[in-house]
Amino acid sequence: MLLRTFFLRPVLRRPLRFVTTVIGVAAGIAAVVATVAASRAAVASLREGVNEVAGRARLEVTAPAGLPEELLGRLLPLTGDAVVVPVIEEIALLPALGDAVRVLGVDLLVDTQVRDVEPDAAVLASGRAANMLLVGSGVLLPQRLAERLAVRPGDPLEISIRARRRTLTVAGTFAPRRFASVWDRVLIVDIALAQELFGKVGRLDRIELVPRPGITEARLTAAARLLLPVDVTVEQPRARAAAASRMVRALQFNLTALSGVSLFVGAVLVATTLATSVVQRRGVLALARSLGASRRQIARSLLTEAVAIGALGGALGVAGGVLGARAALTSVRSTVAAVVRGVPATDIRLPLWLAALGLLVGVGVSVLAAILPLAEAVRTPPVQGLVGERPAFLHRPSRRRAAAVAAVFAVLAVALARAPAWDELPVAALLASMALLGVLLVAVSPILDLLARGAAGPLARAAEGTPIRLAIAALAAGRRRASWGAGAVGVAVALAVAIGTMVHSFRTTVIDWANQGMRADIWIRPLAATTGVQVGRLDPEVVRVAERLFGKDVIDPFHTATAYAGTQPVTLAGGEFAVVARRGGVTFRDGRDSRAVFAAALAHRAAVVGEPFASRFGVCEGDTITLHVADGTLSRKVEGIFYDYSNQQGMVVIDRNDFLRHYPDDGPRELALFLPSGVDPAAARDRLLAALGGRFFVEALLNRELRAEVVAIFDRTFAITRALQAVAAAVAVLAVLTVLFALLGERRRDLALVRALGGTRLQVAGVVAAQAALLGATGAAGGLVVGLAIGFVLVKVVNVQSFGWTLRFLPPWPSLAVTGALVTLACLLAGLAPALAAARMHPAEALREEG
Amino acid sequence: MLKALRLAVLALVLAAAGWETAVAPPSLHFPRDHGAHPAFRTEWWYMTGQLGDSGSRRYGFQLTFFRQGLDPSAPEPGQSALRAHQVLAAHLAIGELGSGRMHFAERRRRIGGGLAGAADDDLDLFLEDWTMRRTQEGTVVIAASDRGTATALRLELAPAKPLVLHGEGGFSPKGPAPGNASVYVSWTRLDARGVLALGGSTAQVQGQVWFDHEWGTSQLGPDIAGWDWFGLRLADGRELMLYRLRREDGSAASESAGTLVERDGSSRHLSSADLVLEAKTWWTSPRTGARYPATFHVTLPLAGLDLEVRPQIPDSEIDGRGSTGTVYWEGPVGVAGSSTGEGYAELTGYVASMAGRF
Repeated sequence: MLLRTFFLRPVLRRPLRFVTTVIGVAAGIAAVVATVAASRAAVASLREGVNEVAGRARLEVTAPAGLPEELLGRLLPLTGDAVVVPVIEEIALLPALGDAVRVLGVDLLVDTQVRDVEPDAAVLASGRAANMLLVGSGVLLPQRLAERLAVRPGDPLEISIRARRRTLTVAGTFAPRRFASVWDRVLIVDIALAQELFGKVGRLDRIELVPRPGITEARLTAAARLLLPVDVTVEQPRARAAAASRMVRALQFNLTALSGVSLFVGAVLVATTLATSVVQRRGVLALARSLGASRRQIARSLLTEAVAIGALGGALGVAGGVLGARAALTSVRSTVAAVVRGVPATDIRLPLWLAALGLLVGVGVSVLAAILPLAEAVRTPPVQGLVGERPAFLHRPSRRRAAAVAAVFAVLAVALARAPAWDELPVAALLASMALLGVLLVAVSPILDLLARGAAGPLARAAEGTPIRLAIAALAAGRRRASWGAGAVGVAVALAVAIGTMVHSFRTTVIDWANQGMRADIWIRPLAATTGVQVGRLDPEVVRVAERLFGKDVIDPFHTATAYAGTQPVTLAGGEFAVVARRGGVTFRDGRDSRAVFAAALAHRAAVVGEPFASRFGVCEGDTITLHVADGTLSRKVEGIFYDYSNQQGMVVIDRNDFLRHYPDDGPRELALFLPSGVDPAAARDRLLAALGGRFFVEALLNRELRAEVVAIFDRTFAITRALQAVAAAVAVLAVLTVLFALLGERRRDLALVRALGGTRLQVAGVVAAQAALLGATGAAGGLVVGLAIGFVLVKVVNVQSFGWTLRFLPPWPSLAVTGALVTLACLLAGLAPALAAARMHPAEALREEG
Repeated sequence: MLKALRLAVLALVLAAAGWETAVAPPSLHFPRDHGAHPAFRTEWWYMTGQLGDSGSRRYGFQLTFFRQGLDPSAPEPGQSALRAHQVLAAHLAIGELGSGRMHFAERRRRIGGGLAGAADDDLDLFLEDWTMRRTQEGTVVIAASDRGTATALRLELAPAKPLVLHGEGGFSPKGPAPGNASVYVSWTRLDARGVLALGGSTAQVQGQVWFDHEWGTSQLGPDIAGWDWFGLRLADGRELMLYRLRREDGSAASESAGTLVERDGSSRHLSSADLVLEAKTWWTSPRTGARYPATFHVTLPLAGLDLEVRPQIPDSEIDGRGSTGTVYWEGPVGVAGSSTGEGYAELTGYVASMAGRF
């Protein structure tokens, strides 16, 4: 009965508010579920992939730049104790699929003893297939992929390896026994073919060891170490999986933290909705109480509403999260593919626990948000609710106490923002942002109070109008309700401002960086998959063709490899310093001209390092760094530290000739062309592509195209963030709307009195509209200040701690001003409806009701 | 992973294009010709024999290396050294004559990459840690072990008689067309001593061993389904090698032949007309269902031999599908009749026809 009265009736009467609240919660939950599911899927498929692909291999012999194949022979004494298996694991692009695939090169003659993959009967029976695989260019495809591509044994299969077009022959298909998704994007070829395809003749990525019966891993490890060079690692496959997971973890945390913000927005929305609905129904609730309803019954009905909002929002959020996860996975996949040499699966499996957690968080957040309004509803004596709130009855909030709490929050925020990263994660800084929001929530009520009292005199006199004076008085009277509203507006504005500031700072910094740093006329790189996954490198042949066409001194091939600073993997890159020293382009932290820096680096055989590397390892200009590279160690003086927003692992760049002394020429990751002045870049690109003559899958971008792409990638990456900004703004408007309706309900009698005393409809409407504007302005102002503070923490602390990127703090002033104005305007507009309602009110009726 | 290749490797249905074939008596030079002949497609080195420990335990063993060429072309520049132009497989089978248990292990690797190799200038084979090598002193050392079956064998073998060249100077025709032939040489009697480990216990063993080395490209005629081969060491000091090539219909091909080695090491070629080989009893494999002949009656009037050859371990079926792709029967046999003795028999083509395979 009560349930129907207090819950169903308002819902039915104002479905929009209920629906909006539910959607708000759903959006928050969806954001969390999407990011968690996507990054978990990526990490899990990586780990699963490593373990499944490793099969029965218990140990792996690896080295940073791969192994010479002679090491196989060195392990001969071990062959009684273990099956010794060479492996090449690379990625390639399958143009017919438009996606990256993993190419697994194994010794097909012994691999039966390692992996559980069942080839189909046709392969079993055919000696031709075996011949194709072992001495031809045969490839085995997972059955599902073969069906999808509609290829059959004997068919050609086009594949792009290091951007070079290659044609393999489908020798057969295989059906994985377990973990089909792991093998979904895996092609199997013989080790020798893999070496030839990937330009790794004479080299291996790793050697796997499968112990024979009765041999322990420890014994095998010890025996293998005795036979192998010292710089080679012997470890379990899962160590590789763990390393990959570690790299993805930082990314995962940042995404999850970001989605947490949206959940917070959802919570604020629920709190506001419930609070206002309590206020709105305060008369009804009081009536119910005086008619004998217990506090418990009231509480139950309110809680039911909260739980319903939470459960509905949670369920919608989980469903939306799964959809969102698919989108999020694309960006996670690209990052993962760039960081570790693997192609994560495309499937999103929603773990049951995550669905349950989504629901639970939805309900939990709603119930938490309901606690304050609940206390309010339960505590208010029925009589007060029945006679309407008057300033005289109002328990005046202690300004001193509020100021003290706000100060504590502020001090806490500053302390947290200054705290160092926790395990390389910006946990404290994110807590600082929360503390800043706390300052806002605590401070808004006394500020409104102050505003009301302080402004009541001079402002009202100056405004020479009854409406403003009345509005201020009304605000002061209903300030608890009003502070809810202003607080909600403030939090929403603060979040919008903080996010906007971060995105703008980031975007402007990156665009400036791209404009200054990207000076080449044409960039050539391997064709990316349609999913955005960058696949591998460029064949060295591409470099030779470009050299032939344009000359060696305008070409800057950029090579990368993994090296280790201690045990931490970093990117070691090789660029043509002589070319960059002439043309310049990179922005250095100390402001020196990049040409001078590269010339000096070339002359002294020094390195330049990216800012993330410098901050991660505490390196300054002039220091000497030592890395573990393919053939031992590499020590170089640091000539300069450049801004680098393309990499968070840390990058060290040395001259290309220097690089190629330590790493074999596997081809560069990209190629930059600096054309002589007067040469038309578009025409030069056409010439180059014509010379490559369809033998390669490459993309050639002109300067403006690449810069546009940088911006596009940036905007894509922050699309979710921008959506959050919009949600925050919507929440602000919604908060004002509901609060105003509530205040109107409370002030009916006063407004009726104004009308009865001769106030016009216009004046009454003006009172309400002015109330709205004041509320909005207060919230917007508080939100702006706190939002900027949070934005500062995000830009200067969170970013540095999680990525090592220095960004300039660049609040988007014009758009912030517009936001403030828009929120106030929105509040005014939002106030229109209640204003109209007030104007239409019949004074006598309103007064009689009160009677 | 790839059972694909189990059946396929030695079972390749390949055109002989590019491979050398045996068409005439070769000029053989040893020790060079003990080594591998990679220009030919298939080649094997067989050691079979009976061993005994200091007590009453008797064993039969086989250690065989098979070489299979997949691609006769020379490596091209830029090609991987790991290309499987040649594949080496090996079978180790140790049978306990008392209990009748047979322990089998197999290995397979491409030649190259340092984990398998076959020298072409002398007998020097290795497949992982399994080896067969001729020493400076002229003996042969073989070693193979397997953790899965807990078996290990290491023997030093000294030829007790000179090398026998079968057929005409080692040229052994096996089909009607030119090239349907192999080059086939044997040490028919080697004195062996060494160590044999089985199920955790190790014993010093000695005994006598037979060594076959045979290579060719398209040695079998097109309608040959399999063969029954015997290498028998008679107590009177002679040895008898004989094989019957079976057609798809079960009849013996006219190229079936043999060699009789006298006490002094001189040998005599036997044609199919010189001998009668008759299966007397049969054994059916519980695993493959294949029906193998078990007891044979061998008559060789020109040598005055009338022998009964009887398996010492009835279930000597070898499942080599993980390496050579073949299933065959290969086990120790005893000889009774006009002379006694021991040896090994090999019966192929009873599970699947060998047609076109060798």
